[in-house]
Amino acid sequence: MAVWDLSVTVEDLGADAPPVTLSVTSDLHVGGVILKLVEKTQIQQDWSDHALWWEQKQKWLLRTAWALEKYGIHADARLVFMPQHKPLKLGLPNGKTIRLLASFSSPVFQTVTGICRMLNIRHPEELSLLRPIEEKRKKKEKDMSEELYDITMVPLSSASRPCMYNGMPAHFADSADMEAVYKMLSMTQPPPAPEVVAKQYRPASVVDKAHINGRWLDSSRSLLQQGIQENDRLWLRFKYYSFYDIEPKYDVVRLTQLYEQARWAILLEDIDCTEEEMMLFGALQYHISKVAQSEPQLLASAAAMDDLDSALQSLEVKLEGESSSASEMLDNMTAPELNDYLKIFRPKRLTLKGYKLYWVKFKDTSISYFKSKEECFGEPIQQINLKGCEVAPDVNVAANKFLIRLLIPSPEGMNEVYLRCEDEQQYAQWMAACRLASKGKSLADSSYQSEIQSICSFLAMQKTNSGSHGKTPAADESINTYSLVSPRYHKKYKAKQLTPRILDAYQNVSLLTLTDAVMRFLQIWQSLPDFGLSYVVVRFKGSRKDEVLGIAPNKLIRIDLGVGDVVKTWRYNNMKQWNVNWDIKQMAIEFEGNVNIAFSCVTADCKIVHEFIGGYIFMSTRSREKSDTLNEELFHKLTGGHEAL
Amino acid sequence: MDDIDAMFSDLLGEMDLLTQSLGESTEPLPPPLPSAQKEVNFSIGFTDLNESLNELEDNDLDALMNDLMADLNASEEKLAAEIEGLKPAPTPGPPQSAQLAPKGPGPELLPPTPSLPSPASPQSGRSSTVTSPASSTNSPLPPPQASKPTMEEIEAQMKADKIKLALEKLKEAKVKKLVVKVLLNDGSSKTLMVDERQIVREVLENMFEKTHCDCNVDWSLCETNHELQLERLFEDHENMVEPLLAWTRDSENQVLFKEMPEKYEVFKNPQNFYLWKKDRKTLKDMKDKDKEILIKENFCGTSIIVPDLEGVLHLKEDGKKSWKQRLFQLRASGIYYVPKGKTKSSRDLVCFVQFDNVNVYYGQDFKTKYKAPTDFCFVLKHPQIQKESQYIKYLCCDDARTMKLWVTGIRIAKYGAALYENFKASEKKAAVSAMFSNRSSPSSSSQSTPSPTIKAKSSGQANGHAPQPSVGTIMQDLGDFPPPPPPPSLSSGHTVPHPPPASGSSSPPPPPPQSAKKNSIKLPPKHHQSSSRFPPSPHSQDPLPPPPPPPPNEDCSDAPPDFLPPPPPPASFPPPPPSVASFPPPPPLSSMPLPPPPAFDLPPPPPDPCFLPPPPQQAFTGAGAPPPPPPPPPAAAPPPGVGPKLAVRSGSLKKGPPAPPKRTTPPLHGAGGGGGGGDGDLMSELMLAMRKKRGNV
Repeated sequence: MAVWDLSVTVEDLGADAPPVTLSVTSDLHVGGVILKLVEKTQIQQDWSDHALWWEQKQKWLLRTAWALEKYGIHADARLVFMPQHKPLKLGLPNGKTIRLLASFSSPVFQTVTGICRMLNIRHPEELSLLRPIEEKRKKKEKDMSEELYDITMVPLSSASRPCMYNGMPAHFADSADMEAVYKMLSMTQPPPAPEVVAKQYRPASVVDKAHINGRWLDSSRSLLQQGIQENDRLWLRFKYYSFYDIEPKYDVVRLTQLYEQARWAILLEDIDCTEEEMMLFGALQYHISKVAQSEPQLLASAAAMDDLDSALQSLEVKLEGESSSASEMLDNMTAPELNDYLKIFRPKRLTLKGYKLYWVKFKDTSISYFKSKEECFGEPIQQINLKGCEVAPDVNVAANKFLIRLLIPSPEGMNEVYLRCEDEQQYAQWMAACRLASKGKSLADSSYQSEIQSICSFLAMQKTNSGSHGKTPAADESINTYSLVSPRYHKKYKAKQLTPRILDAYQNVSLLTLTDAVMRFLQIWQSLPDFGLSYVVVRFKGSRKDEVLGIAPNKLIRIDLGVGDVVKTWRYNNMKQWNVNWDIKQMAIEFEGNVNIAFSCVTADCKIVHEFIGGYIFMSTRSREKSDTLNEELFHKLTGGHEAL
Repeated sequence: MDDIDAMFSDLLGEMDLLTQSLGESTEPLPPPLPSAQKEVNFSIGFTDLNESLNELEDNDLDALMNDLMADLNASEEKLAAEIEGLKPAPTPGPPQSAQLAPKGPGPELLPPTPSLPSPASPQSGRSSTVTSPASSTNSPLPPPQASKPTMEEIEAQMKADKIKLALEKLKEAKVKKLVVKVLLNDGSSKTLMVDERQIVREVLENMFEKTHCDCNVDWSLCETNHELQLERLFEDHENMVEPLLAWTRDSENQVLFKEMPEKYEVFKNPQNFYLWKKDRKTLKDMKDKDKEILIKENFCGTSIIVPDLEGVLHLKEDGKKSWKQRLFQLRASGIYYVPKGKTKSSRDLVCFVQFDNVNVYYGQDFKTKYKAPTDFCFVLKHPQIQKESQYIKYLCCDDARTMKLWVTGIRIAKYGAALYENFKASEKKAAVSAMFSNRSSPSSSSQSTPSPTIKAKSSGQANGHAPQPSVGTIMQDLGDFPPPPPPPSLSSGHTVPHPPPASGSSSPPPPPPQSAKKNSIKLPPKHHQSSSRFPPSPHSQDPLPPPPPPPPNEDCSDAPPDFLPPPPPPASFPPPPPSVASFPPPPPLSSMPLPPPPAFDLPPPPPDPCFLPPPPQQAFTGAGAPPPPPPPPPAAAPPPGVGPKLAVRSGSLKKGPPAPPKRTTPPLHGAGGGGGGGDGDLMSELMLAMRKKRGNV
């Protein structure tokens, strides 16, 4: 057989080195070529990760048993010999960038699986890679590069589950630096400075949101095939909003990153929510960042005990020690009280003009007030049970205004009562008591102290806000409320107006553990009406205008751009089949009941749309029994299109 | 200790006063048992008790009395135990007595009575109280038995126990109990005692026991507000007493017990809520599989998904008479509306109401009352608001369907996962009782009414301690059913077997469910065991009595071995044993996916040899003619394979008369007459048994 020359560029020799020329025959298999090549370079190193890349055809020659002939390689072919794993800069959902080795030769699906294994994220099928948005990137690149977390030294492993050490994958336990990386991955980030949020790109319309989806990489082709080069920057994101089997125990990194992605989606208005919802998200972010500082790990602490249980328990403890008398026990049992002079105002009652000073006693869940301290053993002027009432703060630290507005239900309706406190301390105590009482808890409840604390720290926040109008980035205790809500509200409200609103929402979440708070955040995010929708601008067959196709975990929706409204919904479980005409870039879907739709994709390749639909169908096939092994073949079958087959 | 004593004596004093006032009202307290009179302290919150008592109908009172007596008995025993253990403790004395919270004019509740409840009472057993009995009984004992602890230790221990007990009693003393009158559809009513810790589900179970209804998932407890013309169904997980306490003293509010199909419709036809925009035909033709998927999607994920409702509703302006249209949207976080001239985008929405502090009510006849555009109105208000107020939000829908969508949507948003949990629990309960009733109904027309006396007693227990019906109770209930119908000729044979029914019946009460379930599944083989477990096993002829005579048919399973009726019948029996075989035909109620164990189904068939699958009633008739029809073939075959016990039975059946009845019940023999006569006997037997049992316990 004829011998001919094959020239191969060996990357390891340097960019300027001339290609190595080998004499080969057409029946030589790829493995043989590599062997010759390595011998010729005379370099001693581990070549096991290297493979041949055929530049003109944009193709990896990974089947070493195939002959050159079979690959159709002739003398004019330009081959490159290079490592399959190369460093990649990966933007994580939390905004940090990590540099790691990723496979440039396997389909992106596998590449992502490998990355997730390294980062300890379960269910990699829910994530994928996308090209970042370029704008503003250049300016930032300089400062961003300082923040790079480099883990390229982590050896590649093929184990499906990393072995754990100290609660983290073993490769993170090697050094302090690596531990820092893991900390970055597994702990929520402090709220971003408002300027950072304001500077980020925010989609202004559904069409804007649709554009981002044109950036997803193709899961069935390799990075190199898609033009990604060594050290390029990509984003790692949750792509399929169908989060399977979340288990806080194993999913520390996954949960954290999911939370971060959700948080940014909210802050950048990637998903719409109402003002009330925004305040609740803000309150949860505040709480999460606060708890994360005090609670190093995502670990649940014991739930607040029922007061009686705790009383009984402390009783037992006491009994074991010195023998104490029953009356002492009873003292323990008697609920603590608050007694103080407060100003009371009842707007509805004309009899009381303005605020009047009373001696007020807070016991159990009731407030009683008396003309003066001396009369407190008699009948109170009035006793008000706060159970089920609404408590709203009205505070202005600068103006020294500490008001508690109570809306107290009665058979006739709601009665308004305002309590005016003198200072922060008094306010925090009474406010905490009112809040607990509204939930039917007494002062004896174990959460009382922490409630007081959280009120105090919130007040402190307001102080710093009013001082230096949010210039200082979040430092420990002082979190800027502007960091917690989307920029829209920066314009709408002054910081001091925002604080009470967030504080108001905060009272319902202030006692959650870190994990619970994160989960709550995710739940509320998931219950937003637009949750899980990925948009693509399409043109339906026979239609002359662009419309938007929303792809959800369980359905497709058609949105009329003119009206901005959903005009039609199709559910996947009614879907019989779908086809892609790659030539004219059109997707045709058939549903039960003879419903056929066809559309071409405008803002994204139809492979992306195809992959979304197939991917969601794949997600729905997951089940508990099979959850350990990922059926990659099925995934490709559903998402790959003709190429995969 | 002094403090405790003081408190107790205070309480006692109060009670005495109340007792005196009670004394004046002749009517109410007629039957207190002697013991009760001695020990019981009546604690009553309202001074107008007499009045309210007078309002109570006699039968209400009786029922109540029975409840209370049951409580008393239990508490007495408990007390005895406690007293032994606690001699030194001064505390126990007074509180021990059970308290009566008699009361109430119909619907209203009596205010919480600070009664010193008998800790041990069954009801208490359920919740926290459980601890008290345990500690009181156990703790005292341990010290002595324990491997010689030092005296000091013992003392310390005893002291600790005493203190604990005292604390528990104090706690218990604070437990509120209400006497609630629940109106039924037919205009009658039942009176229950409800403990403040009880949830609606428990009260519902009580009602099931009292009314012998079919326990389907639609049964609900509702409150009506007369003044505002509102009605709301209580969710099963809600606390029962809390909303009732919000009623005003003079309110005419009522608690109703009725079927509300909309209660869980979202789980039966989720498409009507989640795909409401689709056309009716699509919705109607929805496949079960698709329904399941919908439920899974919306209720089984990490977060509950609220139907995306949006539409124009009429809103009654605050304090005005006019109704204004607004575009509303339901979200998980509340109801919003689109302000005039704004878009529907989320950020422009204005919050109308959030659900933390309001409940959703149906408005009734608002067209007349408020000049509403239609009568399909719902209302959002704080549960404590009982009268007209600007804080009540009135909304009006164009049609009934829209109203159902909104009210259900709001409930989903407000209660979330709890709703689905409730549904699953109700469904389970309904399935079990369906199985049971399948079986029992055939056996006898009994469903009807148990003898009054028995019933009273049984119900009494149930009431007091809704949660934990003692075995005894169960039995009694069963007893009710069975008595009537001793089947005719065949019956003789049948009489034996009650056991099966017992087991089945037992299921209804809370604890039993599990057992019942198990039974059902494994029934064929285990049947014997299960039956034996229950006191009433036929053979043993326990004092428990209630069950024995009654359910002739069902018994078959067990019965055959012991007393075989005349040969002929057995021959006919064949069907029963082979559960599988029989299975298909019989279960009319089969609607339940549950694997109605053959046992249940079987019961019916035996009586009438002729028809295998026969519905119960037929069975009866069939019974008359013993041998005739060929028993279901399959049945026969399987039996052999089945467990030994079954085999025995089946054998007898197939082979005809193998096991001669050890004892025949002549009276029963007479077809028609047997039934009647048996009844009377049964009743008295039951009574006896009950009494005995009481004594024993």
